[in-house]
Amino acid sequence: MSSLNASLATALSGLVAEQGALQVTTNNVANANTPGYTQERPVLVSSDPYEADPLTFGTGVTLQSVESIRDPLLESQIQQQTQAQGQFSTLASALAQTQVNFISSTSDIGTSISNFFDSVNQLSTNPSNLSLRQGVLTAAGNLATSFSTTANNLTQQQGSLDASVVQTVAQINQLTAQIAQLNGKVSTLENAGESAGAFGDQRQQAIDQLSALVDVAVIPSGNTLTLTTTSGSPLVIGQQSFQLTTQLNSVGLNDVYSQGKDITSQITSGQLGGTIQARDQQIPAIQAQLNTLASGLANAVNTVQAGGFDLNGAAGTSLFSGTGTAASLAVAITNPALIAASSDGTVGSNGNAEAMYALNNQAFVGGQTPTDYYSGIVFNVGNATANASAEQSASALALQQLNDQRSSVSGVSLDQEAANMVQYQDAYQASAQVITTINDMMYTVINMDTLTV
Amino acid sequence: MRVDPNPYPDLLADVALTQQQVNTDEQEIASGLSVNKPSDDPGAAALLVENAGQTSEADQFQRSVGSIQGEIQSANSTLDSVTTALQQAISLGTEGANGTENAADRAAIVVQIQGIQSQLLNLANLTYQGNYVFAGTATQAAAYVLDPNSPSGVTYQGNTGVNRVTVGSQLSLQTNLPGSQLFSGSGGNVFQSIQDLITSLQGGNTASIGTAVSEVGDASSYLSEESVFYGNALNQLTSQQTYLASDTTELAQQETTIGGADLPNVISNLTTSQTSLQATLEAIAQTESTNLFQYLK
Repeated sequence: MSSLNASLATALSGLVAEQGALQVTTNNVANANTPGYTQERPVLVSSDPYEADPLTFGTGVTLQSVESIRDPLLESQIQQQTQAQGQFSTLASALAQTQVNFISSTSDIGTSISNFFDSVNQLSTNPSNLSLRQGVLTAAGNLATSFSTTANNLTQQQGSLDASVVQTVAQINQLTAQIAQLNGKVSTLENAGESAGAFGDQRQQAIDQLSALVDVAVIPSGNTLTLTTTSGSPLVIGQQSFQLTTQLNSVGLNDVYSQGKDITSQITSGQLGGTIQARDQQIPAIQAQLNTLASGLANAVNTVQAGGFDLNGAAGTSLFSGTGTAASLAVAITNPALIAASSDGTVGSNGNAEAMYALNNQAFVGGQTPTDYYSGIVFNVGNATANASAEQSASALALQQLNDQRSSVSGVSLDQEAANMVQYQDAYQASAQVITTINDMMYTVINMDTLTV
Repeated sequence: MRVDPNPYPDLLADVALTQQQVNTDEQEIASGLSVNKPSDDPGAAALLVENAGQTSEADQFQRSVGSIQGEIQSANSTLDSVTTALQQAISLGTEGANGTENAADRAAIVVQIQGIQSQLLNLANLTYQGNYVFAGTATQAAAYVLDPNSPSGVTYQGNTGVNRVTVGSQLSLQTNLPGSQLFSGSGGNVFQSIQDLITSLQGGNTASIGTAVSEVGDASSYLSEESVFYGNALNQLTSQQTYLASDTTELAQQETTIGGADLPNVISNLTTSQTSLQATLEAIAQTESTNLFQYLK
């Protein structure tokens, strides 16, 4: 048989539960603009009934838990897209810097090649003229400077990308340590049957940040998450994080190590992947092409020089020096008389200057003329940059859509919170009204003997 | 379905994209180029490198044509003077071959022809910008020097070298003929014939003088035949100049086609982008943050 006291307890459970629910709403409203915050919902369940034969009475309501509304599949898609976004935006911005060296100007390599051959053509109109000879030397000097400046800029950029590898690894280590710590807090709370709430959000946010830096696979295990790189190197297992390290390799760049193993080439996405791709693939490819062009050009010109005679009638010596790289290209002579324009030893002969000029249209650099080969480099640089930038835009758009979806699942809607608030308030008022009524009834019962008929 | 309660990131991303488009359009309009960096259009950027190379080459060919034109013109007019001098020698010789002339008259003619002889030496030693034009490729020393031991009175110091200068992608033009071919070639020797004329005039034999006069005539016609080379070279240079000028114009047109901004199109795009940007910004400004809380009393 039910009692007024039991009813009072039931009504009280309503008051307590609605207060708790209102607390959840209050927290949601407070965090409406908090980045990474996931909306929370109170989970209200009815309390176990008691039997008063033959009847069964409810005993009110319990706020069982507060759950965060999150879609795990969506989160994993966001992580993947964040990795791609990190990779392509880093690559695109690196290549955008690289291509500055190949924008048409008065001193780009293409113009310098043209100017050099133009000066040789001019010399062949009057091969003994010292100022025309000086013109060739100056143009050769400018050509060497164009090559070495471009090559040095690329090396410098490679150096700053290398520094960024080290920085990124440090950031990764910081985040994995943080995630391991949060793993501990989440599992402690969840093991105690409580909601991890804000800790879960913080962990999720740290994972998102980590995804922007490196390709990461997230594997749920029990109440914790295990994080590895996609190639399987451990980053976080339970409450332990595994630090990545960097170590200088033979060419003076930092390789990335996990547990003593070089994993540099296995890192394919995230900011670190993009940086490594630019540092180890894109820039070296351009450097190799520049070296081929510089050494091909220098060797061909030097060979022609050796076949002719200078203004003193002596056999020509090398015009260019260097070690076969664009960076080392330099002009070997300072005396304009040493240009071997003559093919027969007489000062008025221009036969060798003509032979040198003919190189302009000979396919001796990788089967192409120097200008064609250079235009190929410009195409490659432009194409790589345009592709990276297109990939970046595409992944940014995809990421934006995924974030929209996440926001529609997990974001705080103030309308909804207002409606919930009204609902909880109504329920609270109703429970309070019930208590007032029970109070009246109690009063009636207590004062029954004093009632006058 | 639950809608995304926070539309601002999307709107801001739209603004950023549109702003980027506006910037790109403005840059195209400012530079007049649709390809401002290789990634704008890698294929076009590569073509522009080729185009710049060809344009630079055509400009250089124009300069080279200008440079050698001067020398060839100078050689050509000098050879005209040589022909005129030889014609003078022929008429003087013909006068000397006339039986009515006495020894004193012939001696006077000899003096005149000796004058022509030294004039010819000067002409054959023409210099252009410090180079002896008719010395082959040995341009630093006079082509001919006086030599009393030589039958012709002079010795050729030059060589038989010729130069060619590339003035077109398919055109390499010979720029000189050695003096040995012009003045002392197998078909006629200018200096020898003049020396023979002087000797015969001094000898006074009218038949020998006649023979010497026709020798000078042969040397003169041979020289004229050879001189055609310079006239031809000048004609070739003139037509090459015309070709190079049109080539340069064509290359400039190609450059515009490859990398020039399509201004009407870009301006129209810019207007669209600006309108869209304004609309988005206005939309953001007008999106009042309305929610249920404001209506609860």
